[in-house]
Formats: sequence, C-alpha cells, structure tokens
Amino acid sequence: MKYTTTSAGETLALAKKVADSLKGGEVIALSGDLGAGKTTFAKGLARALKIKKPVTSPTFVLMKIYPTKGKIKKLVHIDCYRLTGPQDIEAIGAPEYFNQSDTITVIEWPEKVKAALPKKTIVIKFKIEKNINKRIIIIQKYGKNKRD
Amino acid sequence: MKNKDHITILGIESSCDETAAAVLQCNRDRFEILSNIVSSQINIHRPYGGVIPELAARNHLENILPVINQALSEAKIAPNKIDEIAVTTGPGLISSLLVGAQTAKTLAYSWNKPIVSINHLKAHIYANWLESQPIAFPAICLVVSGGHTELVLMKNKNSFKKIGQTLDDAAGEAFDKVAQLLNIGYPGGPIISKLAESGNPAAFDFPRPMIKSNNFNFSFSGLKTAVLYTRKKLPKINKKIIADICASFQQAATEVLVVKTIRAGQKYRVKTIMLAGGVAANKELRNQLIKKTTEKLPKVKIKIPAIKYCTDNAVMIAAAGYFCKKTPWEKIKVDPSLSL
Repeated sequence: MKYTTTSAGETLALAKKVADSLKGGEVIALSGDLGAGKTTFAKGLARALKIKKPVTSPTFVLMKIYPTKGKIKKLVHIDCYRLTGPQDIEAIGAPEYFNQSDTITVIEWPEKVKAALPKKTIVIKFKIEKNINKRIIIIQKYGKNKRD
Repeated sequence: MKNKDHITILGIESSCDETAAAVLQCNRDRFEILSNIVSSQINIHRPYGGVIPELAARNHLENILPVINQALSEAKIAPNKIDEIAVTTGPGLISSLLVGAQTAKTLAYSWNKPIVSINHLKAHIYANWLESQPIAFPAICLVVSGGHTELVLMKNKNSFKKIGQTLDDAAGEAFDKVAQLLNIGYPGGPIISKLAESGNPAAFDFPRPMIKSNNFNFSFSGLKTAVLYTRKKLPKINKKIIADICASFQQAATEVLVVKTIRAGQKYRVKTIMLAGGVAANKELRNQLIKKTTEKLPKVKIKIPAIKYCTDNAVMIAAAGYFCKKTPWEKIKVDPSLSL
C-alpha cells in the first residue's frame, strides 16, 4: 500500500491507522533517510497505543521499552542507526521481544540488521519528495519482498 | 562503621564508550581528587559514526581492570584504604553497564567494601559539587548529553525533579546527526563547535524549536531536518558554507537551551543555575549561558564543571557515591533506561 502525507500530523494519523490494525506480536521496520518521518511514525503508534510518556529517539541507548495497558502491553522502540550488523541487535537482547504476543516492536534503520529480523516483519518505507514536506510511505510485508 | 564525613571512594564508570575509574577523598562536602583515569574508545568507534555496543563491551572488559589499577596506584591508595565503591548502573548501553557493575560487585565482595549504585545523570549533576563552594537552593540544572536533554529542579542536594525534557532527539544526538548530514565526521559536538568558530551564526535562519512553548520541553528533530533541507537546496557546498551551517545550527540549538533554562530559573526563583553532561563541554553553550544568566538573573550564581568533568568520567561517579545510599552488592542491577 502506498500513502502520501504532507505534514507530520498526517504521518501521525497514518500511524494511528496502522496501530488500529495491530494484534500484538508484530515487528515493524521503518526504513528511510534522516528526517523522513520514522520517529514521527513511531510517536503516532505510541500515541495510538495510549503511551503517555514522550517517545524520544532511541539512537543513543539503542532500545527503549514503553509499557502500556490493554492487550498490547509493551512497545519496544529500537534504533539500528549506529549498528553494524545482526550481531549487534542480538548483543542488546532485542530479538527476545520479537513475536511476543503482548509486544509491538518498531525498528528504525532495519537495513543494518536485516538477517536478524523475523520473516513476517512489516516494512514501512519513507521517502522524502522534492516538495520537502511531502512523504511517500509504502507499507509492505516482508513476505512480498524479493529477498525471501 | 566509618563516619561518612571523611571517606575515600573508588568510582567506576562504563555506561557508554569511556572506561573510567577515579579515587576521591571526601571531607565534609569538600572533595579532593586523588586520581582520574579515563580510557576513551572514541578512535575505535569513529569509523562507524557512533558507539557499537559489542565493540564497546569488549573494550570495557579489556580496559576495566588496568584502569582501576591505575586509578589506585596514581592515588597511592591500597584497596584496603577504600571505604566505598561507587558504580554507574544506568542509564546507558546494557552491555557496557554490565562490565562496570559486575567488576564493582566482584571487588565489593572480595574486598568486603560497601557499594553504591549510581544514576549516571545524577552523577553528571554532582560534578558541580567538585569545586568546594556550597550550592544555594533552589537550583535548576540543564543536563545535556548524547542521550539526554533535561531541565532538573533541585530543592536540596538529594531532590531531583524533572521539569522538562526533549520530546525527540537529545541535543548531543542532534550535533552527531547534523555532522553526519554534512559528512564532517564523528563525534559531532567537538567538530561542529570547532568549524563554527570560523562560521557566521546568522548565515542561515534555522528554527528555534519550541522556544515560545509554554513549558520546559525541547525538540531537536525538526532542527536536524531543517539543516538537511538547507543542505539539499544548496547547489554547491564549500568549507565556508559548512562553517556557516555549523555556526547557525549551533546558535539555534544553544539559544533554545539557554532561553528555556533562564526561563525556568525565573519561574522557580532559583539561586543557582547549573550545567551538566557531555554537551556542557560546548564552549558556545557555556559562554552564552553565563552571559544570559548575568544579564537576566544577576543575583543567580552560575556553576559549570570543568570540561574534563562534563564528559564521562568516574570522579563524578565517586562524588555521587558520597551523596547516595549504599546498596548490598547482591542487589546491584543495571537499568539501561534508568531515569532521574
């Protein structure tokens, strides 16, 4: 599915729509350049999951865990910006959270750790258009990806 | 039991990419630094543009005992003369934190010494106590580092109330990411600060995110994006333009940090304004905070630790050990997302 957003507000709204379709256990990979809207999207997911704490960039500590109430109990926010390969994501214990039925895992810069991601990962690609406020956002299942 | 007024503390720090140990002698809130050893891994992580957790942990493992040994021998202190061990248990990288914490626990057990579990952020703030004059309360402290940007209100030396924080990227992270966008190297803070010296801070009109908002929160993600857009629009880029972008970006980030700190100082009628954390080593931030405090709050004292105690070190961990309570070694646990 391909979407176009023209503001951070619209990216947040799209994230809410995606959040409403989540059942628990999903791993969502957010792929795109610096400033493309990945963290904004993660914030939108958190808001939809009723997380009140501000969702801040996990670049420095690599992984942040936000508890919430309801069927989904945790949002795990991982940033692979600084990582070199799948062994790094294993070193921080992140795969323990993948596919847990009460957890949603969001991974920014997934390209760096591709081999460590589950097959069912939902991939969301963000592209900055020439009109600098415009974003093309493409949502696909890993299964539809050529590499599988 | 020994009187807490006269004690010698061994501080151990390994939360990110510096392995550090220090010996601090504490005599009724007066501190004497007997040794301060920091083994930086910056050269190891530079090619990757950031700290790699596995590499960091492995290097901590190699360095921690030699660093502790050196701290003890430079201080001319035998282990049996140490009264307490203070160690960082969070926030930070889990694999890095574990090395320091495990080492401290082992030493505490085998030397039979008490251990103090230290919050790295509090330790950054306590770096302001290393010089002897007492601090007047209430005080506001701006804590700025690679992973944090927070305004903390202190009513006494053991009370920390977070009144504002970044809603997205930390200030130090914005410096790193802007440096990456401009392709000028890692770590971003010192590089941007150096290049900015020859640039014009008014050359580009970057946004001052949330400067008018009615709270004490910050946002640096949009500022980073603004730099990206500016960079993309420029047909040609040369040294002068890079210097101008650096100076203008640094000015925008500094201005928001300073304005909000002063505003918090006014609202809470503080007697002291403090600066802490790795980004507190930034000269422009230091200068502008001093200038604005003198201008807007002439009666308020301003405290900024020496640069070597702003970046990660173990002296501040030992100082925090003096103010914080002991923990039985069995109960020492690391927490990568520990908050104030």
